[in-house]
Amino acid sequence: MWLVFQKEIKELLRDKKTLFFMIALPILLFPLLIGGALYVGTNVVKGAVEKTRTYAIIGDQFSDEFVGKLNEIEQFSLQKLPSEVQTKEQIVAYVKEGNIDFVIEIPKNYSSMVLDSGKITLTLYRNQAGLKVVENKLNKIVDELSDLYQTIAFSSLGLSESQQISVVTPIEVEEINVADERETLGESIGGFIPYLIFMLCLQGAMLPASDLGAGEKERGTLETLLITPIERTKIVLGKFLTIAFAGVTSALVTVLSIALWTAVLSRGEAGEVLVKFMTSIDAIDFLLVFFMLIPVVAIFAAVLLALSIYARSFKEAQGYMTPLVFVTFIPVIFAMLPGVQLKGIWAWVPLTNVALAIKELIKGTMDYVQLFAIFGSTAVIAGSLLAFCIYWFKQEKVLFR
Amino acid sequence: MIEINKLAKKFKVENPKKLSEQDKKDPRLQGRFFHSVREVSFSCQNGQVLGLLGPNGAGKTTTLRMLSTALRPDSGSINIGGFDILKNPVEARKQIGFLSGGTGLYGRLSGRENIAYFGKLNGMTNDAIIKRTAELSHRLDMDSFLDRRSETYSTGMKQKASIARSVIHSPKVVILDEPTTGLDIMATQTVLNFIRDLKNDNTPVIFSTHHLDEVSELCDKVTVIDQGQTMFNDTFDAFRALDEVSLHESFLRSIGKPKHQTTER
Repeated sequence: MWLVFQKEIKELLRDKKTLFFMIALPILLFPLLIGGALYVGTNVVKGAVEKTRTYAIIGDQFSDEFVGKLNEIEQFSLQKLPSEVQTKEQIVAYVKEGNIDFVIEIPKNYSSMVLDSGKITLTLYRNQAGLKVVENKLNKIVDELSDLYQTIAFSSLGLSESQQISVVTPIEVEEINVADERETLGESIGGFIPYLIFMLCLQGAMLPASDLGAGEKERGTLETLLITPIERTKIVLGKFLTIAFAGVTSALVTVLSIALWTAVLSRGEAGEVLVKFMTSIDAIDFLLVFFMLIPVVAIFAAVLLALSIYARSFKEAQGYMTPLVFVTFIPVIFAMLPGVQLKGIWAWVPLTNVALAIKELIKGTMDYVQLFAIFGSTAVIAGSLLAFCIYWFKQEKVLFR
Repeated sequence: MIEINKLAKKFKVENPKKLSEQDKKDPRLQGRFFHSVREVSFSCQNGQVLGLLGPNGAGKTTTLRMLSTALRPDSGSINIGGFDILKNPVEARKQIGFLSGGTGLYGRLSGRENIAYFGKLNGMTNDAIIKRTAELSHRLDMDSFLDRRSETYSTGMKQKASIARSVIHSPKVVILDEPTTGLDIMATQTVLNFIRDLKNDNTPVIFSTHHLDEVSELCDKVTVIDQGQTMFNDTFDAFRALDEVSLHESFLRSIGKPKHQTTER
C-alpha cells in the first residue's frame, strides 16, 4: 500500500499541471486575482465618486443660505436650465436624457424659522441608478441646516438642553451585546469558511483522482498494475491515500495563503481585528477543524476514485466529477441556513454537520459531545464508500469497460 | 510448463441495442450474455514458444487476460508448473510476466523507476532490482535512455522498457498480447530477439499475433482460436502441413474456410 502511495506521490510531484493547480494557483494567482479585482474596483469607484456633477436650482431666490452651501461644494457645478424646461414632466425628461446630473427645487416656504414656515420639502430630480454620491453630499448640507434650524426653534420655545434631547429622541433602545467579538465575527464568516475549505479539498483532489484511475486506464498501465502480486485492496488504499493527501494539502495551502496575504495586505485596523480573532481561537479548536476534515476528505477521495476507476478516459472522469461540486454545495448550503444548528438530526447529516461544527469551533461555542455524532456518521460513510471503491476495483466490468 | 484446459468466459451485455449487426449474428451471443471464450485448451512446455492465432474478436485477448489473472474464467483450469493459478491468483502473478497490447509506462517516471516500481510490487529487494535492471538494460540495449523520463521515449524505447518491466521478476512463463502490433521494423526485431532469448533460457512463451512470418520464425507450437473455441492446436510443422501453398492458406484451413475463399467474414 505504501509502495503505491509513494510512487503516486512521486509522480504527482513531477506533474507540473497538478502542482500548478495545487500550489501555484492558490499561493500566487488567488491573491493576484483578488488584489487586482480590488484595485480595479477601487479605482473605478474612486473615479465615479470624484466626477464633477452638474446641477440646476429652481427657486434659488427663496434661500441664499442653501444655494451658498451648494456652491461651496467643488464637485458640483451650477448650470442654468433652458427656459423651455418648466413643468415637472419637462424637468424629469431633461434629467433622464442625461443633460444634467440633478435638479433641486427649493420651496417657497423655505425659512430658517421652521416654527413659522412649517416643514420644508426640497425636491431632488436625479437618476437613482448609480452611486449615492449626490445624496450623501446633499444630506450633509441638509443635516447641518436642520440642526441649526432646530436649535433656533428650540431656543425660541425656551426649552432646556435636556428637554431638547428628549424631544428629538423620546425613546431609544440601548443594546448590550452578550456575544463576544469572536462569536459575532465567527457567525458572519464561519458559514463561509467550511464552504471554501470543502470546495478547495474537492478541487485539489480532482485532478490527481482523474489521473490515478482513468488516466492509468487511458495510458494502459492499469492492466499491468492489476497483474502484479499485490492485492487490489492495497492498490485502492494507496491511490485513495494519495488523493486524500492531495486534497488536504491543496486546501491547507490555499487557506494558509489566504490568511497570509490577508495579513500582509491589511496591516491596518482590519488586520488587527483579524489577528485578534485568529488568536482567540484555541489551538485545540484549530486542530479539531483539521481533524474534522479528514473524514470529509476521505468521503471526497473515495467518491472521486470510484468515478475515476469507472471512467474510460481522463476526459470522461472529469465529466463525471464536475457535477460533484454541485452535490457538495447542497449540504453546505443547509449549514448556512439560519436556524440550522448542530443539534439532533443535523448532527448526523454528513458534510452539513462538519460545516456546522467548523462554524461552531470558529465561534468558540462548540458542544464537544456532538463530535461523536460527526465523526461517527462521517467515518461510517467514508468507510462504506471506501469499501465500495475496493469492491468496485475488483469488478471486471468496471476495469475492462 | 503451462497447461490450459477448457477455459470459458462470458460477459454480460449491458445494452443489447448497441450491438452491431455482425455481433448479433455471432453464435456466441446467447440471451444477455456474450460468450467471448467458450472452450479454449492448449499447453506449452518449457523452452517452447506458442503462437496464438485467430481473427479479430476471436477471444485471443480475453484468453490471455485470463492467463495473466486479470480476468477470472467462468470455468476451466490454468496450471503453471503444476500450480493451479486460479486458486491463488496473487501468488501466481509472481510467476507470470505479461505484456499487454496497449501497455504504457508512467510518463513522469524514468524507465528505471518504472521497472523498479514493478520489481518492488513483485516483492523484490532493492539490490535484486538493481542487479536485474542492469542485466536487462544491457540485453535490451537501454543504457542510453533508461534514466530519462519515459514520456520522452520513442515507441521502440517504450516497448523495450515495457518488456524489461514485464520480466523484472524473472517469471516462469511469459505472455505477450500482440507485442509487435504498431511497432516499426527495428522495434519488432527487438521483441522477436527477446522472445528468442527467453526460449534459450528455457522459459515458455505464449504470444498472440497476426503476423504469420513471426510464427514461422519463432513458434514451436500453434494454437488457432475462432469464435471462442480452439480450432487447431498442434506443432508448427503440423500447422504448415495443412496447406502446401502458404501459411495464410493453412490458417484459413484451420478455421474451416474452404480453399481460395476470400478472408471476408
